[in-house]
Amino acid sequence: MCEPKRLHPVTVIFNMIRFVKEAALGLLGIGVIAIKDGAFFYIGIAVVVLITIIIVSSLLAWYRFTYEVSEDELRVKYGVFIRKKRYISKNRIQSIDLTQSVIHRIFGLVSVEIETAGSGSDKEASLKAVTYADGVNIRNQLKYGATTDTGDADAMSESEPVLTEDTPHVLHAEKVTFRQLFIAGTTSGSLGVLLALGGIAFSELEQFIPEHVYDEAWGWIVAQSIAIIVALVGLIFFVLWLLGIAGTMIKYGNFTISRHADDLFITRGLLEKKQITIPLKRIQAIGFKQSLLRQPFGYGTVYAEIAGGSLDDNREFSTILFPIMKKKHVNRFLKNVLPETAVMPETYNSVPARSRKFYVIRMILFPLALFVPVLIYARSFWWVPGLLLVGACILGFKRHRDAGVQRENKWLHIRTRGFALNHVVMHHKRIQAFEKRQHLIQKHQALATMEVSIVGMAAGGRHYAVLDMDDLEADTLSDWFSHRKEDGDAMRIKGSFTDQ
Amino acid sequence: MRYAPKEQIATDAIKAWKMTAALVMLIVWIMLVVGGILTFVFDFPQWPLWIAIGIIVLSTYFVIFKLPNIRWRRWRYEVFDQEIYIQHGILIVTRTLIPMVRVQHVDTKQGPILKKYNLASITISTAATTHGIPALYDEDASNLRDRISALARVDEDDV
Repeated sequence: MCEPKRLHPVTVIFNMIRFVKEAALGLLGIGVIAIKDGAFFYIGIAVVVLITIIIVSSLLAWYRFTYEVSEDELRVKYGVFIRKKRYISKNRIQSIDLTQSVIHRIFGLVSVEIETAGSGSDKEASLKAVTYADGVNIRNQLKYGATTDTGDADAMSESEPVLTEDTPHVLHAEKVTFRQLFIAGTTSGSLGVLLALGGIAFSELEQFIPEHVYDEAWGWIVAQSIAIIVALVGLIFFVLWLLGIAGTMIKYGNFTISRHADDLFITRGLLEKKQITIPLKRIQAIGFKQSLLRQPFGYGTVYAEIAGGSLDDNREFSTILFPIMKKKHVNRFLKNVLPETAVMPETYNSVPARSRKFYVIRMILFPLALFVPVLIYARSFWWVPGLLLVGACILGFKRHRDAGVQRENKWLHIRTRGFALNHVVMHHKRIQAFEKRQHLIQKHQALATMEVSIVGMAAGGRHYAVLDMDDLEADTLSDWFSHRKEDGDAMRIKGSFTDQ
Repeated sequence: MRYAPKEQIATDAIKAWKMTAALVMLIVWIMLVVGGILTFVFDFPQWPLWIAIGIIVLSTYFVIFKLPNIRWRRWRYEVFDQEIYIQHGILIVTRTLIPMVRVQHVDTKQGPILKKYNLASITISTAATTHGIPALYDEDASNLRDRISALARVDEDDV
């Protein structure tokens, strides 16, 4: 693989799709203007010209893009008018992700995305379509420095060009089962979201529906027997539920995570197949998130915060390590896949009872404020802020009950609740800064808010705060975090200066 | 974090902040005058104008003559060999610990107002956060920057 190579010609199609996407907005504008003027002839010309431009530029972009894997670097040359050359040194490469869309799979291709530690929201280099064997080869060469023994990969590409585990030294692997996916889909929450969206859409639409249509329809519904209505509602739920499951299956089907010496390897997807490499040293924190729907059944999602990397549209802020898992199995999973990490603790040091009022007050402020306009302008809707108030109270109580921290040698566990219950564990050396905040009332009540920051995706910070914890606990944590070897707070003579 | 950091920032910070506040309030007053003229030209109701004048007079006094003093008194910092300790905030007091080994770079900055009083601000960046010390005398700022930069030059193989 020492001479420059071009990508697979299918790239031309990808380029075209990309250009069309980028130009879509402009095209729409032109279209609207043209239709308004009734100049269909000119639209015709414009469309033809545009299509020609798109085809030609796609072809050129493909023709001018070459890549080459040499001894110790990847060389990419591209650009139609302005030639750009990018050399990425092998030992700067952090991770190489392979992705296969449906189109890729038809032609036995794969897209290779290469990331370095560099910040920024773009992939360092991305080879949109190379043959599967080449893709695996590139990865093995750049990542593992393997020799170009392509026998294995070639055989793979001939039989079935589908991403599989084919890198050596798998220490442990775990695969999602159908049952787990089924549960994940059922509790994915898309059901609730879809219902809510439907409700909002309907309430918005309602005002546009002429009254008599509305009345007639309502009359019809009432005229039907209760049984049919129930059946209809049931059917809607059933379809939504199936959609939720289908979505989860497509995204996380065949989800497999495997542990190699220095990396985690994730394969997932039914239609679009993805193979992600996570270097261990980039993992900043491990978390377990239980949404309101999943928590009652003891399920949740295992995820990791990864430093750097890029945020593309397909990836969430956190990287999923396992889409669904019972809480009691998480520790076993972590021991197998990430034995370096501390397991989740049995108990947390909860925030004190006296901070409950702050949690509740913080939550009910908005619904209370909402009462004012509602009572002035739409008194009959008083129940809307009323319900919100009840919900906010419950959430406030729950947040208070769930907030807590736990220390274990050099590991810090934090448990908080937004809507979902979130457990996070991070190592002392991953914490970039420690903050303690205190307003006057908190100070009076011996409470404080603490926040730790770690590195997140796309060179942004990730912050975890525990609100209104015991002041002493916060101070103890700050002592734990403090890198000072001598002259610690405790060593200072009390009262030598004022505690302003 | 039981005790506040020792060092206070430059006393002239108060002057610089007062000047900044005065400039901001000047803009607010200009807007008020424009609003007043419009009120009389177009014969708008006058009560909003009077409320605005009341609020602006009070806030001018507070923002220019009170806030900078309180802010200065609260601002503390201390640089140890292994970490930086900062305290700031008027209503909510924030204390921050930044380990030296996490510091990625440290900058000094000087705008026209700070320059007038021979002051400079320091910005300390980690991979996840940015922190600042708002006003130190020029020389102190450069010295501190160099010191932090030297202390931060500790090799650690993570991130």
